[in-house]
Amino acid sequence: MSDIAQAFTIVFQLDILIVILLASIYGLIVGAVPGLTATMATALLVPITFYLPPIAAIGAIISASAMAIFSGDIPGALLRIPGTPASAAYTDEAYAMTRKGQPELALGIGLWFSALGGIFGTIALMALAPPLASMALRFSTFEYFWLAFLGLMCATLVSRSSPVKAIASMLLGLLVSCIGIENPAGTPRFTFGSTNLLGGIDVIPALVGVFAVSEVMRAMLTSEPPKPPRRRLGSILAGQWALTKQYPKQQFRGNIIGVLIGVLPGAGADIAAWVAYSVSKRFSKEPQKFGTGHPEGLIESGSGNNSALAAGWVPALLFGIPGDTITAIAIGVLYMKGLNPGPTLFTEQASSMYALYIIFIVANILMIPLGIAMIRASSLVLRAPRASVMPVIVLLCAVGAFATGNNLFAVLTVAAFGVIGYVMERNGYPVAAMVLGIIMGTMVEQNLVTSIMKSDGSIIPFFDRPVASVLAAMTIAALLWPVFAWSWRFLRPKAA
Amino acid sequence: MHLSDRVTGLFLVALGGVAAYGGSRLPPVPGQQIGPEVFPMVVGLSLALCGGLIALGVGRRYEDEADVAMVSTPVEGTSASADLLPSRWRELRVLIPPALLIFYVYVVEALGFLPTAAAIVLVTALALGARLRLAIPVAIVAPLAINLLFLKLLRVPLPSGLLPLPWIGLP
Repeated sequence: MSDIAQAFTIVFQLDILIVILLASIYGLIVGAVPGLTATMATALLVPITFYLPPIAAIGAIISASAMAIFSGDIPGALLRIPGTPASAAYTDEAYAMTRKGQPELALGIGLWFSALGGIFGTIALMALAPPLASMALRFSTFEYFWLAFLGLMCATLVSRSSPVKAIASMLLGLLVSCIGIENPAGTPRFTFGSTNLLGGIDVIPALVGVFAVSEVMRAMLTSEPPKPPRRRLGSILAGQWALTKQYPKQQFRGNIIGVLIGVLPGAGADIAAWVAYSVSKRFSKEPQKFGTGHPEGLIESGSGNNSALAAGWVPALLFGIPGDTITAIAIGVLYMKGLNPGPTLFTEQASSMYALYIIFIVANILMIPLGIAMIRASSLVLRAPRASVMPVIVLLCAVGAFATGNNLFAVLTVAAFGVIGYVMERNGYPVAAMVLGIIMGTMVEQNLVTSIMKSDGSIIPFFDRPVASVLAAMTIAALLWPVFAWSWRFLRPKAA
Repeated sequence: MHLSDRVTGLFLVALGGVAAYGGSRLPPVPGQQIGPEVFPMVVGLSLALCGGLIALGVGRRYEDEADVAMVSTPVEGTSASADLLPSRWRELRVLIPPALLIFYVYVVEALGFLPTAAAIVLVTALALGARLRLAIPVAIVAPLAINLLFLKLLRVPLPSGLLPLPWIGLP
C-alpha cells in the first residue's frame, strides 16, 4: 500500500504535472497535423527526455503518445486525411459524418471513446502485468530466446503487407543489430574499420530517421493538404453518454481487440483500429450503414486504438519486447533512466510502476478537456502552412540526434535511416518490422548463445522445459503460417 | 524510388549473401559453440532466401489486398502539384532532407549552428513551395528558438561558429 501512496506523491508534483501538461499539448498538436505521426512525436521527444528525471521522462512519452493517437482523428473527421496512421481505418466514416453535418459527433466519439479506451487499456496493463511478471521471474534464457523470436514473428504476421516482405524487413533489422561489438563474443562485426560503428547503430537516431526524416521526405512529393473551412462547432460531448449506453458491446469489443493487438509485439494502434473496424462491420446488425457516417465502427475502432496504446506497454515493461513502435522508443528511454524492463521492475521499483499507471489514467482524463480545446483550436493548427512545420522537424531531427550522444555521427545515422525508411515504405516493406529487428537482435542472439553454452551444445532444453516448449510451438507455427496460407491459396482451385 | 519487386528482391539476395559471406569470415571464439559468425550467417542466408521469394513474386497477393483496402483512404495528392520538371527529376526532391542532414554534419562545426540551421530551414521551406515572405522569417526564428531551447532548458551546447550572439545568451 505504501508503494501506491508513494506513487501518488511521485506523480502529483508540480514539475511532473507541468511536464505532462506540456507533453500533452505537444502530442495533440503533432498528432493533429497530417504527416506528423504519433511515433514521430515520441521519437522527437526522446532527446528532451534525456534531461528529465525518470518518471517525468516516461510521463512525457505516455501523455504525448496518448494525445497524438486521439488527435489524429481531428483532421480525419474534418479533412478526410488521417492525422496519424492509427486513424486511417475510420477516416472515411468520420468524414461521412461531418458531411452529414455532424462533425461534433464524429470528433466527440473520437475523444470520448479514446479516453475510455485508454483507461481500459491501462486497467488491462495493471491486471496483466503482475501475474505475467511472477511467471516471467521463473524464465531463463531458453524462454527469453523463444519469446524474443516469437515477438519478431508476430510483427511479421500482423503487418498489412506481404508476409515475405515483412520477414525480410525484420531480417534487415537483425542484420543492422549485428553491427558493432555488442555481441556475446565481443568481436567487431561489419564495422568496416570505422570506430563510429564499433558501438553499433544507436536505436534512437535510427528511429528518428525512419519515423521522422522519411515522413519529411514523403512530404516533398505530396501536395499541401487542404485547409479546413471555418465552422463553428457545437457541444463536443453532447450525445456521447447516450452512445455509450447504446453501443456497450462495440465499445467493450473494441477495447478487448485493442488490448490483444497491443500486447502482441510489433503491432500497435493502427492495426488495432483496422481490425476493430472490420470486426465491427462483420458483427454489426446494420453493416449496410458502415461508410455513411454510422457511429458503430467509429466507437469500436476509436476505443481499440487507444487501448492498444496502453496495452503495448505490457511486453515492453515485462520483457523489453516492444508492443508497438511507440513502446519501441520508450524501451530505450526506460533503459536510459535505469528502469530496465523486466519482471523485477515490479518488485524492486513498484512505486515507479504505480506512478506509470497513475500517469496513464491522468493523461486519459486530461485528454477530455485538452481534447475539446484542441478541437476548438483545430482550424488554427490545421491552417499552419506545412512549409513552416517541416523545416522545424528536419532541424529537430539533426539537433535531437546530436543531443542523444554529443556525436555528429548520430546525425548521419538519422539521414541514412531516413532514406532506408523511405525506400522501404515506398516498396511495401513494413518499417515497423525492421525496427523490431534492430531492437531485439541483440536480445535474440544473446539468449541463444547463452542457452547453448548452458546446455553444452544440446538443443533439447529449448524444447523440454514446459513454458519453452509452448513458446517454441507458437513460434514455429507463426513461422510456418505464411507457408501454409500461401500453399493453401496456391493449391486451391481458383474461384471465379 | 518505386522499384519493382524483382529489383528489391535481388538486392536483398545480394545483401544477404554478402552478409553471410562476411559473417563466415569472422574468427570463431575458442570454447564457444556458437561464435560471432553464426548469427550473421543465419540472418544473411534467410534474407537471401526471402529476397529470392520476393523477386519471384511470392506474397504479392497479400499486398494487393491491402492496397484495395487502402484505396478509399486518400493519403497522397501528388497529382495536384503543378510541377514542370519531369517526374524522374521531381522524385529526386525526396533526397533534400537527408542531404541537408549530411550538410549539417560537415558544416555545423565551422559555420556554427545558427547559420547552418537557417540554411536548412530556408531550403526545406522553399522546396515545399513556400514564398520567401514565409521562408525567411521561419529561417530566422526557428533556429534561434531551437538553440535557446537546447541551450537553456536542456543544456546542450550547439556550436556557435561564425555567429555568436552573447546578448541573448548564446555563446
